Amino acid sequence: MADQQTNDDTVAMTRWQLNGQEVESPTGMTIMEAAKEHGIEIPCFCYHPGLSIAGNCRICMVESNRSRKPVISCSEKIAEGLEIETESELAVSSRNSVMEFQLINHPLDCPVCDKAGECTLQDHSYKHGPDRSRFVEDKNIRHTKELGPSISIWGNRCIVCTRCIRFCDEISGTSELCIVERGDRSVVDVFPEIPIDNQLAGNTVDICPVGALISHDFKYEARVWNMDRKDSVCGGCSRGCNVEVETLDGFVKRLMPRENLEVNDWWMCDEGRYGWRHLYADDRLSQATRDGAALADVSATAALEQLLCESGPVAFLIDPYLTCEEMHLVQGLAASRPGSSVGGWLPEDGNAANFPSGFTISAAKYPNRAGAELIFGDQVFGDDAKELQKSLVSSDFTTVVAFCGGHLSSGPGESWAKSLSSTPTSIIFSVKNGPWLEGASLVLPATAPIEKDGTWINEDGRLQRTRSCWSPGTEPFSVELVRLQTLQNALGIRGRSLSAAGIFRELAATHDSFAGHNHSDLGSPGLLLSQRPAGIAMDGGSE
Amino acid sequence: MANHSDASEENQKRKTATSDPREKATYAVPVAKGLINTLKHILRNEPNTIHYPDEKRTPYPGYRGEHRLKRDELGREKCVACFMCSTACPAHCIEIVAEEAPWDDREKRPRLFNIDMMRCIYCGMCEEACPCDAIELTPVFNIPARTRAEKIYDKDKLLSL
Ligand code: SF4
Ligand code: SF4
Ligand code: SF4
Ligand code: SF4
Ligand code: FES
Repeated sequence: MADQQTNDDTVAMTRWQLNGQEVESPTGMTIMEAAKEHGIEIPCFCYHPGLSIAGNCRICMVESNRSRKPVISCSEKIAEGLEIETESELAVSSRNSVMEFQLINHPLDCPVCDKAGECTLQDHSYKHGPDRSRFVEDKNIRHTKELGPSISIWGNRCIVCTRCIRFCDEISGTSELCIVERGDRSVVDVFPEIPIDNQLAGNTVDICPVGALISHDFKYEARVWNMDRKDSVCGGCSRGCNVEVETLDGFVKRLMPRENLEVNDWWMCDEGRYGWRHLYADDRLSQATRDGAALADVSATAALEQLLCESGPVAFLIDPYLTCEEMHLVQGLAASRPGSSVGGWLPEDGNAANFPSGFTISAAKYPNRAGAELIFGDQVFGDDAKELQKSLVSSDFTTVVAFCGGHLSSGPGESWAKSLSSTPTSIIFSVKNGPWLEGASLVLPATAPIEKDGTWINEDGRLQRTRSCWSPGTEPFSVELVRLQTLQNALGIRGRSLSAAGIFRELAATHDSFAGHNHSDLGSPGLLLSQRPAGIAMDGGSE
Repeated sequence: MANHSDASEENQKRKTATSDPREKATYAVPVAKGLINTLKHILRNEPNTIHYPDEKRTPYPGYRGEHRLKRDELGREKCVACFMCSTACPAHCIEIVAEEAPWDDREKRPRLFNIDMMRCIYCGMCEEACPCDAIELTPVFNIPARTRAEKIYDKDKLLSL
């Protein structure tokens, strides 16, 4: 998995037997990982590919020819001549007995447990567990309490797999959690007066195989099977952690990290995870206004067309939240109005953080600076921006189109706000209400990062595909991708509107740095811009 | 081709068969029998219909009418907002929003519990799915309303039934 180079021909191979079949796997692999490569999934609770092996839950026991007793496949390594049976009588009965033991003290909480539906214990119990309990004694009761500002534990549900503890020891390096008590009374707790409050704490909830750790953010919000999921990328910082955005009836309910060994492994930070609440904050903008008067969505697009058709050279102020596709459209507009100029504003840097596992949080709290610099040139946030601001102050432009995105940022600073309001015609795409909208001629609601469809380039130069959490047709207002294309149609520089993938193809055809790439080849881990997908026709590929 | 002409020949035959006057006459007997039966009932004067709404029929046990939400011994709603009923419902007519329960013995309760009675097909799956015996279908069947909005029953209405 993570550290195995299975595709490398030089890796030494070991021959062993899996369920009577002669198989070959890279030397040094554990039985569980090797069996998975051969299509046999062995159940596990305490094993997690991103954590050290604990071997305490015993659900993964299999029969081995090297041992009289069953062995745990998550820690036992394969060896030459090893014969493993995963479905023999011994293996099955061990598994079932472990399952029965796991359930004796487990409460029948599933109907009110937030993990139900994605619970490993439920899944394994369904497959391997007994259909009734032989346990007639009283179940023991363990604590239910807050472990920190964002996490609570339901001790009764804890199966003491120690995944959460290993996470705090190995990944976040903060070691807040421990096991207290012994035997069947053991349960996870924090040390007195030291709550679990680190930047990665939310991940413990994801990796808890049961509903013992519950995040306050998601508690009682939704049942997991009712939610829709979209593979997206977090726009909280330039790292671009891969996430899954889960929505209920079109409203975001939860963000979960998505495995990407090149970027975020299995984790994400809490700032990005809980940041979605800002999408529905009071200062969120969803209404277009013209000189302060509310405007219907179609009229807003028409007003935009009218203002730009009448304008001379236009100043474009971009932000690093725009997708490469949106930037390409802005560039098209700028090129069609001779004398136009483009600059960008950058939100203030936040705090960077590095964790022992190698997980990093970038200080640059925006997703696509690299994309902007490739499309508009290195200086778009530097000299170009200074130049632009100067000419705005000296009123060289009568029209400015500004993008003020980012639901987590505090918007362009005061000086930009001033130069925007001093321009006679200012058209502002904004996610939030803020001082930069003062005196704007036309205000258009804009999409926040997880509402955008397109690609971003993270700080490593990795091109990643992000998808909107809205289903097509249910957007509360026209997204920039659509509005800018409608505008281009009206200005006569575009024939028909395309999807994000179509715009990306145009971008790849015009920009050398993007040449050879297209959406369908990005896959889920994305691609470094320097890695060209092999054998791709420049205009080929479908979305 | 051959098949086709066979079929039309067959049809032709059937047509001639039904237009046979002797065939027609055979209908007379059952029709007469039926009329006699009708006449008998008219003379006996025992109506099988009832004068609804002056008279009301007692539904059979197990009749599936309007829903209600049950209360426990302390008068609190039994429902724990587990969404099992709304998950089981084939008509997707139950809308629930959960909130934290103010009581120690349970974690959740519904803040909102709406059933769209116009969409409900009265199948009883919700009752079957409920782990807390909190929802049931009553024998109440006289359920007209003037507006659609009246037929969306909220938590208070369901608890009061
Ligand atoms: S942890 Fe899993 S098995 Fe236990 S109550 Fe929650 S959903 Fe059910
Ligand atoms: S709280 Fe969850 S992750 Fe932690 S030990 Fe218990 S079951 Fe495992
Ligand atoms: S009776 Fe059937 S259709 Fe009506 S609410 Fe219950 S499950 Fe849904
Ligand atoms: S199944 Fe029962 S307890 Fe669960 S939400 Fe429905 S009525 Fe409430
Ligand atoms: S997964 Fe092997 S012992 Fe837990």
